[in-house]
Amino acid sequence: MSNLKMRSINLNAWFGPKQALKDINLNVKTNAVTAIIGPSGCGKSTLIRTLNRMHELVIGAKMSGEVLLDGKNIYDADVDPVMIRRRVGMVFQKPNPFPTMSIYDNVAAGLRLTGIKKGKNLDNVVKRSLKQATLWDEVKDDLKKSGTSISGGQQQRLCIARAIALQPEVILMDEPCSALDPIATAKIEELIVSLKRDYTVVIVTHNMQQAARVSDFTAFMYLGQLMEYGETESVFENPKNELTENYITGKFG
Amino acid sequence: MTRLLDVGLEQLTVMVYKSGEVAENAIRVSIRGFINGKDATETVHELSDILGSMTVDIENKAFELIAKYQPVASDLRIINSYMKIAYDFERYGRYAWDISFTQQKLAKIDKCAVSSDLMQKLIEKVSEMVGKSVEALKQHNAELAKTLADTEKEVDELYFAYLNKLSNARGQNKCVMCNLLVSRYLERIADHTTYVGEAVVYIATGEKISLR
Repeated sequence: MSNLKMRSINLNAWFGPKQALKDINLNVKTNAVTAIIGPSGCGKSTLIRTLNRMHELVIGAKMSGEVLLDGKNIYDADVDPVMIRRRVGMVFQKPNPFPTMSIYDNVAAGLRLTGIKKGKNLDNVVKRSLKQATLWDEVKDDLKKSGTSISGGQQQRLCIARAIALQPEVILMDEPCSALDPIATAKIEELIVSLKRDYTVVIVTHNMQQAARVSDFTAFMYLGQLMEYGETESVFENPKNELTENYITGKFG
Repeated sequence: MTRLLDVGLEQLTVMVYKSGEVAENAIRVSIRGFINGKDATETVHELSDILGSMTVDIENKAFELIAKYQPVASDLRIINSYMKIAYDFERYGRYAWDISFTQQKLAKIDKCAVSSDLMQKLIEKVSEMVGKSVEALKQHNAELAKTLADTEKEVDELYFAYLNKLSNARGQNKCVMCNLLVSRYLERIADHTTYVGEAVVYIATGEKISLR
């Protein structure tokens, strides 16, 4: 089996006339955390949204090139985008639990859509997902409470549990800690590192130290281009590209 | 715009360069004392102590910068390397003191040190390496630093030739012992100049190489 879970080939993306991604060739390794860093507006979020076909949901957005998931182009005509989004889950910047649903129902929501309506099986998946998201111990007695009644950090872990419940193969995270305090951030970071045992993770972050702490591979983007990609240790110790050096040392950005 | 880290890095750089100058001076004074048969123990001991406390100050400053700014890439390489270099400069000072101390304790003999051409050459080469290591650091000059490797080989050859000569030496045992130890200290100083050189190469290029 290839150790590449995903791969983009000559990937371009536009919002109307504005080109957001230019010929991106990115490798995403299996059971590893890949961090995407770069200044605001460089195309980081656009890139991860092309990895599960969310980019095409934006009016006026288009793309060209290929994104391979286990070797199969997810943009082929015979591929169901809903199935892709199930295999490649997404966690957003701001925790967004469904506000009218309980903690339990938030995690179960996606499963119910797939036909698992109730019963022990559903209970088990909810419990397992909350455990994997390291939230179970904190909410096990409050599963009927609203998903928005818990702290921001807990809400973000609830969103991760919701993503995990569908048993995705890849989890995309778009600045998952930017709205959290340092303690909640540390918990999410520990969670990200533990998740890679079972999943492949791609994280967009503005926090250089976070990228250095949690990721195995780092990609640096600038003005829609992938400037540098490599093992995180190497990118942060001895970057090959001068722009990467200047960005990660805070000389611009 | 100047980064907050730059202010601290500049202070750290000044501290490390100053440490290099003190280390070079300590070696110069001890060797001059050794060549001229003059006791330089007190001065060199003082310089060695200064280097010890400078190393502590450099380490503290480096830790402060790491804690405050979590530096990466060239910033991190510089801080990491400066800590290592500060230790090497401390060792320069310590060996300089060892030279003076050995001469004062064992020899107390005028000019027995430079009776040999080999010792004279060893002193010249090691002094040259010390100067070069400090200069390479100040310029962050990897090419200059790499030249230390060849000189270090010459120092090793001179050292072993001198050991061979001393093993057959007759005469004053204390003088032989003194020269034996001093030549060893000089050879160790040469080793430390190559460590400084390796750190300079790492700062300038990110390459981790061995100059020995």
